[in-house]
Amino acid sequence: MRIEEHPILGRTEKGKEVSFFYDGKPVTGFEGEPIAAALKAAGVMVHRHTKKYGKPRGIFCAIGRCTDCVMVVDGRPNVRTCVTPLKEGMRVQTQYGISAEKTKMKG
Amino acid sequence: MKRYDLIVVGAGPSGLSAAIEAAKKGMNVIVFDENAKPGGQLFKQIHKFFGSKEHKAKIRGFKIGEDLLKEAEDAGVQVVLNATVIGLYLDKEITVRIGDEIRHYKGDAIIVATGASENMVTFDGWTLPGVIGAGAAQTMMNLHGVQPGKKVLMLGSGNVGLVVSYQLMQAGCEVAALVDAAPRIGGYGVHAAKLARCGVPFYLSHTIVKAEGEDRVTGVTIAKVDQNWQTVPGSEKYFDADTICLAVGLSPMSQLLKMAGCEMEDNPKKGGQVPLCDKYGETSVKGIFVAGDVSGIEEASSAMIEGRMAGTAAACELGFMNEKERDEKLAALEEALESLRQGMFGPENKGKLLKKTDEGCDISMNLLENGYLGEEEVKQYPGVTKTIGIHPVMECTQNIPCNPCQDACPKNCIKIGENITSLPAVDPDAQCIGCGMCVAACSGQAIFLVNEQFEKDYASVTLPYEFLPLPEKGAEGKALDRSGNEVCRAEVVEIKTSKAFDHTNLLTIKVPVDMAMKARFFRAS
Amino acid sequence: MNTINDRSKILKEFVPANDDDMIICRCEEITKGEIRRAVHDGMFTLTEIRRYLRTGMGLCQGQTCSKLVRGIVARELGVSPAELEPATSRAPMRPTEMRVLGKEVR
Repeated sequence: MRIEEHPILGRTEKGKEVSFFYDGKPVTGFEGEPIAAALKAAGVMVHRHTKKYGKPRGIFCAIGRCTDCVMVVDGRPNVRTCVTPLKEGMRVQTQYGISAEKTKMKG
Repeated sequence: MKRYDLIVVGAGPSGLSAAIEAAKKGMNVIVFDENAKPGGQLFKQIHKFFGSKEHKAKIRGFKIGEDLLKEAEDAGVQVVLNATVIGLYLDKEITVRIGDEIRHYKGDAIIVATGASENMVTFDGWTLPGVIGAGAAQTMMNLHGVQPGKKVLMLGSGNVGLVVSYQLMQAGCEVAALVDAAPRIGGYGVHAAKLARCGVPFYLSHTIVKAEGEDRVTGVTIAKVDQNWQTVPGSEKYFDADTICLAVGLSPMSQLLKMAGCEMEDNPKKGGQVPLCDKYGETSVKGIFVAGDVSGIEEASSAMIEGRMAGTAAACELGFMNEKERDEKLAALEEALESLRQGMFGPENKGKLLKKTDEGCDISMNLLENGYLGEEEVKQYPGVTKTIGIHPVMECTQNIPCNPCQDACPKNCIKIGENITSLPAVDPDAQCIGCGMCVAACSGQAIFLVNEQFEKDYASVTLPYEFLPLPEKGAEGKALDRSGNEVCRAEVVEIKTSKAFDHTNLLTIKVPVDMAMKARFFRAS
Repeated sequence: MNTINDRSKILKEFVPANDDDMIICRCEEITKGEIRRAVHDGMFTLTEIRRYLRTGMGLCQGQTCSKLVRGIVARELGVSPAELEPATSRAPMRPTEMRVLGKEVR
């Protein structure tokens, strides 16, 4: 899903390759790119499940406006993954309502 | 509390341009932007811009962004990033979130250049992962180098929808279809034609009924809409797709101005809620100016001019420039802005269905409804002529403000004239040398070189090519016509790349001579 | 001031629609039916709707839904969206944690 070479932009300049944890599983991405970009490249689509109806959500605006892509990052909920730079060792978790724990969901 | 001569909110094309003009006059200027990088949307614009030389035509958006940043730096503009302006008050005080703190600043003048936000439409399943804004697609592929999806359906045929669809293909994604509820394509015909000849089907008068899928998009159902925008039962069509991209317009992000007490109006021609302002952007609150999309949706080229106007007006108001200098400067900027607002897509013609070009040619209904010109239709335009030997065929059929082709030709074969919205015409007395500069210079990729005497029974067609992999010389494949249908076998006989072409490669294919006016794209087999 | 605030206005009866379950405010998960209902409950202005249902009061602060909500309310009232005053704009324009708001630097 990464664009290796682009006809206009050539090769995208990337930071160093780092590993982070997505729901406990190790995944790699590039330092400094948005967490959401690394997840997208890894094929992750669902970032969270909503509080009221438990519906899946993912990237929608990709510029930090819509807040649909929020996840629990290093224990903090509601982190906009599309504008938060990736760091080595980050713990990124699917957000259920406002928590990383499924059991805290209503219904 | 820190005080500045000028505070600019937003470091996009208009905000930076405003800051540059003010800083050049010796003003102490600070620009705040909530994003991590400056330049607004410019760095996602990888296509060549329209306009004329003064509007930076045929230069790609991100390059214009780089130049603007350099100019800002040289002028001594201070840009603070990751700085979100959360409040703007009547007394020209702002509150800014920087890191985990709220800071207060006061400006003797304030220019708000916050840009726009994307409109949305609802349909069954529109909250599913995989339904994204067109801006999101551009951000992911052009800034972060990640494909938004494998197979994408685009909703919206305005310039954003058309341009982003093309960029999706450049990023290696497949565009399953382009859908719009309107009966006619909203954006430039040349942008639509680029997609159509690659085989992207257009579904006008159609809308999305449902995004299919449980926890992500797996497909889309569209249906025809009638005159009352109601879906027609039985007209449903299903597409496999993992991504649905929404490009249904923009709205000015003007909340800060409303908050500051500026008089607002709801102006559908400007895209929604905008502050009332004079022609240089000053709002009803003296010293608070606006520039760019926040004052009415247009595009980056006009936003940059508006920014320069607001910066100039603010500089004069605060005594950094005399009125004579201001008036001269503003007159020149106004003229540049006016020329961009001409033509059939100008604000005056918004929503109108024009039947004829300024030259009196019929406007192609095929182009408006299907995205490509009919074979007979194309012959009536002044850029489409037939002659012995190699010559340009300019399939430029709408009056849009753009003229780089005229300057590109070293032999002066191409004439547009004074009015930059005129259709390009071929000068019958000038001799085309087949250099291809016009093909690469055309931001709409609407110019082809045709040689009907290439070889016995064979013609050559040179076309712009901005995809990877680039076919090799000698490669065999199929020629596609304007609608994307395969029409004949074709062989690549030449590939030209050059720094002057700026990543637009020139592909010359050999086709049977009767295909010379049909073949417009190449697909390797 | 809102021009559409005539409390004596009599609306047509609420008629359920097929798409009443459609989510409009993505953050607070408010449906089209709830918004339409609110109008019939007497919430004629966008500010009232916002207070009553929390549309546009979630994380994104109405970035995504405000125009959609306006369209739905306008249709229910039988007026043009342009006639409806947008909801009040006030600081903070972006979601900001209380700990940050409380940390003002002068």
